[in-house]
Amino acid sequence: MARTIFAMGGGGFTMEPDNPALDEFILSLSPAPVPRICLLPTASGDADEQVRRFHATYGDRPCTPTELSLFRLGSDPVDVEEHLLSQDIVYVGGGSLRNLLAIWREHGVDEILRRAWEQGTVLAGISAGAMCWFAGGVTTSSGTPAPARGLGFLPYSLSVHMDGEPARKPVYLDAVRAGALPSGWAADDGVGLLFRDDQFVKAVSSRPRTGAIAVRPDGCTPVMVEQLTSREHPTRQRTAPFEVLELRSLRYGAARR
Amino acid sequence: MEAGNPLLDDYVLGLPGTERPKVCFLPTASGDADHYIVRFYRAFSPERCQPSHISLFRRDRTAPDPEEHLLQQDIVYVGGGNVTSLLGVWRAHGLDSVLAEAWRRGTVLAGLSAGSLCWFSEAVTMYNQSRPPAPIDGIGLLPYSNCVHVDAEPRRLDAYRELVADGMAPGYAAEDSAALHFVGTDLHRVVTSRPKAKAYRVAPGEVTPLESHFLGPVAVAA
Repeated sequence: MARTIFAMGGGGFTMEPDNPALDEFILSLSPAPVPRICLLPTASGDADEQVRRFHATYGDRPCTPTELSLFRLGSDPVDVEEHLLSQDIVYVGGGSLRNLLAIWREHGVDEILRRAWEQGTVLAGISAGAMCWFAGGVTTSSGTPAPARGLGFLPYSLSVHMDGEPARKPVYLDAVRAGALPSGWAADDGVGLLFRDDQFVKAVSSRPRTGAIAVRPDGCTPVMVEQLTSREHPTRQRTAPFEVLELRSLRYGAARR
Repeated sequence: MEAGNPLLDDYVLGLPGTERPKVCFLPTASGDADHYIVRFYRAFSPERCQPSHISLFRRDRTAPDPEEHLLQQDIVYVGGGNVTSLLGVWRAHGLDSVLAEAWRRGTVLAGLSAGSLCWFSEAVTMYNQSRPPAPIDGIGLLPYSNCVHVDAEPRRLDAYRELVADGMAPGYAAEDSAALHFVGTDLHRVVTSRPKAKAYRVAPGEVTPLESHFLGPVAVAA
């Protein structure tokens, strides 16, 4: 089974809740008809809002969504290893890359995710949750953009939010030129990069006029980006089945949108 | 920050011996949970102190330099949550050594639950209730071990006794509402916000209740 990583420069349910194109694309990456998809919101400190939006987006799609909050294991006990290794997709939310990696290492989650990846679980993520899979990226965990190491599942680098947070790009280009980071990609918000094993397959986007660049020490070149269209009209209100709405309101408060 | 019981908060504010001490809240162990930060500002109001907080998950929203800010405080108050995540994040940001430096300079370090365990060389964590209690290394300012919530979760004290019998450093167990006050590395006294709360000295083969001082009004004999 191919090892799959889908790394987004931005977008998805946390940043564009009315545009499900990337969220649906992620579900399509698993061969399972009703994939089990688990959110790891570690990088945000398991922020309620991220968890709520995840369930608002995936709650009424053909999948089984769960979240694993490492900060809430005291009140909501879960066998972390067993849960993660039983997923078809693990979705890592954005936040602080430095905190994400530190917490995963303390809890041994980095090794569990490597095993999940090797056994065919799709690893997806946005921002910090996208850069973590690479040898390195550009983080603002300390306030200003700086090169940082990732888990190194992919032997490249990634810089995110190329259009939304333009201060990252010059730091990234310098770091690759100087050899502080290996060659890699910078991606706009809405753009996701798909990898099978350690090969780049393609870039897809949920938004028009967005792009990605491939960055090497001697310069950068644009990457062709495939425009995704959601199966639903992005502005149309979706109505979830009554039971789904009820479940959401019970578990996540006022989760209707 | 016990609901409706400010006795321990008042005690902490009195420790530096200055008017309106500077108190910085570190909510790291909760993932910088918003509701916890709000509770801190309610409990530590600006009439009594100069409150602030540092979020390590949202660096751009708070003080630009955590090191500089922490070293200016009279009190650093560490909230509860997950001690494993707390220590990982602190180490990733170098805050373990900043807090050690603050302590050496005289800043009062206070905290509950995970915010207590972290100061000791070893501690007992139940970070995942689906797993048995486990030992963890703290930042080691106090050369003892620590275990908290031993009244709310009795199996913690049993696990702690076994761990100490098996070679964990001797140390202290605290019930909810009981606080261990150390001056330097010596236990100065045990204070409580409820009359019956207890703390214990735990060494191989022995668990000794410690004399404690209730901070509230003394009950008048009828």
